[in-house]
Amino acid sequence: MATVQVSEAEKVYILHGIRDDLRVDGRGCEDYRHMEIETDVVSNTDGSSKVTLGHTVVLVGIKTEIGKPRPMVPDEGYLDFFVDCSANATPEFEGRGGEELGTELSNTLYRAFNNKHSLDLKSLCISPGEHCWVLYVDVLLLQCDGNLYDAISIAIKAALFNTKIPRVHISADDEGGREIELSDDPYDCVRLNVENVPCIVTLCKVGHRHVVDATLQEKACSVASLIMSVTHRGTVTCTRKVGGGSLDPESIFEMTEAGKRVGKALHAPLMKLLQQEESLGRKKQKVGFLS
Amino acid sequence: MLKSKTFVKKTRSGGVVKIVREHYLRDDIWCGSENCTECKQESAVLQRDACIESNLCSYPHYLIPDTNVLLQQIDVLEDPVIRNVIILQTVLQEVRHRSAPVYKRVKDMIHEKEKHFYTFTNEHHRETFIEREPGESANDCNDRAIRVAAKWYSQHLMKSQSDGDGLRVVLLTNDQGNKQKAEESSLLVYKCEEYIKSLIANPELVDRLALSNDDKNEISSSKVLFPEHLPLSKIQAGIKSGCFLQGTFRASRDNYLEATVFVQGEGEDSTEVLIQGLQNLNRAVNQDVVAVQLLPQSQWVAPSSVVLQDEGTAKDDSAEEEEEEEEKLKISAEVARKPTGKVVGIIKRNWRPFCGMLNVSQIKESTRHLFTPADRRIPRIRIETRQASALVGQRIMVAIDGWPKYSRYPNGHFVRSLGSAGDKDTEQEVLLLEHDVPHQPFSQAVLSFLPKMPWSITPEDMAKREDLRRLTVCSVDPPGCTDIDDALHCRQLDNGNLEVGVHIADVSHFIRPGNALDKEAANRGTTVYLCGKRIDMVPELLSSNLCSLRSDYILKLYFRGSWLLFHGFNFLLLPFFPSPPYVLVQASLTYAEAQMRIDDATKNDDITESLRGLNKLAKILKRQRIKKGALTLSSLEVRFHVDSETHDPIDLQTKELMETNSMVEEFMLLANISVAQKIYDEFPDCAMLRKHPAPPPSNYEILHKASKSKNVAIHTDSAKALADSLDMAKVDCFPYFNTLLRILATRCMMQAVYFCSGMDSDFHHYGLASPIYTHFTSPIRRYADIIVHRLLAVAIGADTTYPDLMDKHKQSALSNNLNYRHKMSQYAQRASVAFHTQLFFKSKGILNEEGFVLFVRKNAIIVLIPKFGLEGTGPTLKVEQHTFSIFDKVKVTISLDDSNIQHQKIRMALTHPVILGVSVPTPDVEPQAKKSKLDR
Repeated sequence: MATVQVSEAEKVYILHGIRDDLRVDGRGCEDYRHMEIETDVVSNTDGSSKVTLGHTVVLVGIKTEIGKPRPMVPDEGYLDFFVDCSANATPEFEGRGGEELGTELSNTLYRAFNNKHSLDLKSLCISPGEHCWVLYVDVLLLQCDGNLYDAISIAIKAALFNTKIPRVHISADDEGGREIELSDDPYDCVRLNVENVPCIVTLCKVGHRHVVDATLQEKACSVASLIMSVTHRGTVTCTRKVGGGSLDPESIFEMTEAGKRVGKALHAPLMKLLQQEESLGRKKQKVGFLS
Repeated sequence: MLKSKTFVKKTRSGGVVKIVREHYLRDDIWCGSENCTECKQESAVLQRDACIESNLCSYPHYLIPDTNVLLQQIDVLEDPVIRNVIILQTVLQEVRHRSAPVYKRVKDMIHEKEKHFYTFTNEHHRETFIEREPGESANDCNDRAIRVAAKWYSQHLMKSQSDGDGLRVVLLTNDQGNKQKAEESSLLVYKCEEYIKSLIANPELVDRLALSNDDKNEISSSKVLFPEHLPLSKIQAGIKSGCFLQGTFRASRDNYLEATVFVQGEGEDSTEVLIQGLQNLNRAVNQDVVAVQLLPQSQWVAPSSVVLQDEGTAKDDSAEEEEEEEEKLKISAEVARKPTGKVVGIIKRNWRPFCGMLNVSQIKESTRHLFTPADRRIPRIRIETRQASALVGQRIMVAIDGWPKYSRYPNGHFVRSLGSAGDKDTEQEVLLLEHDVPHQPFSQAVLSFLPKMPWSITPEDMAKREDLRRLTVCSVDPPGCTDIDDALHCRQLDNGNLEVGVHIADVSHFIRPGNALDKEAANRGTTVYLCGKRIDMVPELLSSNLCSLRSDYILKLYFRGSWLLFHGFNFLLLPFFPSPPYVLVQASLTYAEAQMRIDDATKNDDITESLRGLNKLAKILKRQRIKKGALTLSSLEVRFHVDSETHDPIDLQTKELMETNSMVEEFMLLANISVAQKIYDEFPDCAMLRKHPAPPPSNYEILHKASKSKNVAIHTDSAKALADSLDMAKVDCFPYFNTLLRILATRCMMQAVYFCSGMDSDFHHYGLASPIYTHFTSPIRRYADIIVHRLLAVAIGADTTYPDLMDKHKQSALSNNLNYRHKMSQYAQRASVAFHTQLFFKSKGILNEEGFVLFVRKNAIIVLIPKFGLEGTGPTLKVEQHTFSIFDKVKVTISLDDSNIQHQKIRMALTHPVILGVSVPTPDVEPQAKKSKLDR
């Protein structure tokens, strides 16, 4: 993670403020920064989205390809995550600097999605044991200002919502080989159901309280954070603790409850927004990267 | 303005990939009309005054055809009357995807200035660009694009009308849905047929209309005569799994109910599947690529030996007659059965315009007539024309449109008329067209590469090349030959050896690789020698003048000769000289003249001496070749004495072979073999060689059958065995027997072909008993020789290579084309000879000659007349008392049967042996009497 140098005085200032439920930019402890989401920004991909959370900018592109299913689960497709911390975000990420962070992020994503409820993987199957859809999720960090996990997960949810998988039929050959036939119409596609896709909420422990969506400065003041992925029903699919400090079991419980609450509240407006954007259809003004 | 086109595509490895392409829209695409005041075009293509006399559209108008109209009615649109047409980019691209030949024709039309065809790039014009909507099929999208463009055009042209002189835009489409939608958006739209019919000033255009499938006024007996063709996907699935076989359909020339499909197996062999019966033939036409399904073995039949021609009428319901004919075919001989199948689908049609004649229908007012193509393998075609009376007796060209399953004959339309049948020029044109011989005059581009006259060897060339003017070189060729490519010389050296040189014209000096002249020559492949006409491969300036080795005291550029040194009876091939020489030809002689000189003991000049030397050596060479097993076969070649005024053949004789023919031949063979070896050594991967595969044993069956009938043994296990046994094959009192046997043996042989050494491993030339062979000695009339010249030039360091020369795939493709052209030219030559033979017999009336039976068929015998080199069919019908066997001597009368103008036949009728009901009485030998019969 990118680091900022914070002086002692600033640290005290931030700590005291958070103690009184007042953060530097005027938010409450459980408030998110201004978030902007746009989907279908990259035309080459089958689904894409760009999320701006304060100054953090994340771009996600999803490409669908036909591949062989995993041997253990022949009737399911799968997702493949790759997080690229580009040097765009901070100079620390130059060369292989961002690799460690990238790996960490993708591992967390794998764990978050590693249950059968988040995404219906069976719908990605084309013919059991032979062909299935593989969704390659590529995340690109463009700007880094704290709270990467949240932004990435929201972006992934939006991108999955936007993904259009082409409709194929498998026709059987007499020899037993399968021929894949693609439909002619570019509009003929399958959409994914992203209701159960979890969102990740990061809670940072600053002093005795915890904050959601910490900026880099606030991060510098915290000793430990709890990362949890929450579905729209409030189910927690995975949790992780990062950071050098220790957490009291009671605080963990508190933070978990807070995380569940926040996470649950995040999904509904997000879905509403995505559907609204979709309904604009052709008339949608593409903003892209120009603003 | 930037738009993007997105679509999903399947990759070869079975994956799916999304393709996004940027699409730019422009504001500066002009409408192309002279009338327009807004567009800033430099030169307008569409005329202001675009009037065609039509009773539907009495105002000036431009036409916009849609894709199907363009594809189907290309013949109508090519007519010079149709002008001022807008071809939309959408339509043009679709045509390109669907039919390459039609696309080429459309492009040619667009380039023709007088037609005023304008290409409008509607997909890049900001106002006419449309994006595909969800739920719209590709076809609908294209149709919508066409309508939008038409609408834009009509609005745009309206703006420039000052006084409303009514320049309008008319959309031509046959699609009902499209027409309706166009009418809804207030466009002027007509069906192609109604528009063409409205052109009252040009009624002949209606004839050229192709019948579309929408026409429901077809024969309403919707009795389905043929089984449905399977769709392409099912055919491909079937071929992959092995149920169906893919092959080329070859109709039988003699029997219209029979055909063979040649299926390409691995490597060189191909299996043949017999197809018999109209249902099984299932509307396949000669040369189509079809999918066949093999019938169960119990239904296999043998190829019929019956000669059947389609005499049917235009009616479709003569199916019963056909069934009777089919019954005749069923033969139960177990042994002769071949794999039989039926056609289940057509993969690729190979239709081209066919030459032939019209069979006018009996019904007076009818407009539907049957067209009989000249090529017997093509079925008759039904066309609709009003000009039937004008076309009777003319040779016409007709193109096939389609063959619906309820129609006995395919439907087609008239393309153009070639001239009256029987007329020599028309017949020659038909011949050349039917055999795909390029015979148009050389284009300007090609002629631009010819050297400027007067031409002489430049001093630089002289410096590079060796001066061999001191040699006595002469050429020996048939009389009247102007394209002389080879010359010989022979002189005695001081040490007693004889030095012989073979000199070949250096054509590759004039034809540089890659230019238009070279490409045209490569396409033509060979010079075609018809009776009385020669279709040159290279322009006459080169073939008859600059390259030809005539004795006109002009220094000629030569190619390297192969120098042979004779020591006693052996010869040494000297290495090729690094620089090709130039030489002066002392004399060009005919075979007869050369022979006379050799025989005349009084002549002792240089030329005669060298001729004698050459002759002697040639005999030695021939002996050596025969020892190795070379074959000397025989075929009847005829020469015509042509009347100088009428150009009609007066007399017809077989060609005689003199010693001098053989002399030239031997040295040519030797040169070819040595060059072949040299280029193969240097370029084992891409040398252009010629091989003659040994015939499979089954080919020799007729030879064995024939020889056995006279108790003569012929051994065919090797070339030498064959040659020896042919030499020994003699029957007492039958001197012609040996020649006849040799003639039969020639028929058993395979075709010699060109090939690229990197693509094949079998180089053997069976007929010449040589392990390697190529063509080197006739570059003026064969393109393969030019390639060999170039290779040899590189090998001796006299010239540089170019990439295509070294590419074995390109060489292989080139040799395939050369083989095809060579074969076609041989067929054309034979057809020309046949035609002139017929012309000859026309003027002679009935002749009485002796002949020999060559083949016995079920209802006919094939008789060979040695005097004229003629082969003909004599009907025998059911012969009870007398069985004919091969090589029987018979007497026949020969006459020309011109009842069928297209296929004038030489009719032979048997006079001896006398068989009741078959033979005809011997006509009187009085020439007077004959003449009076003719004057009838």
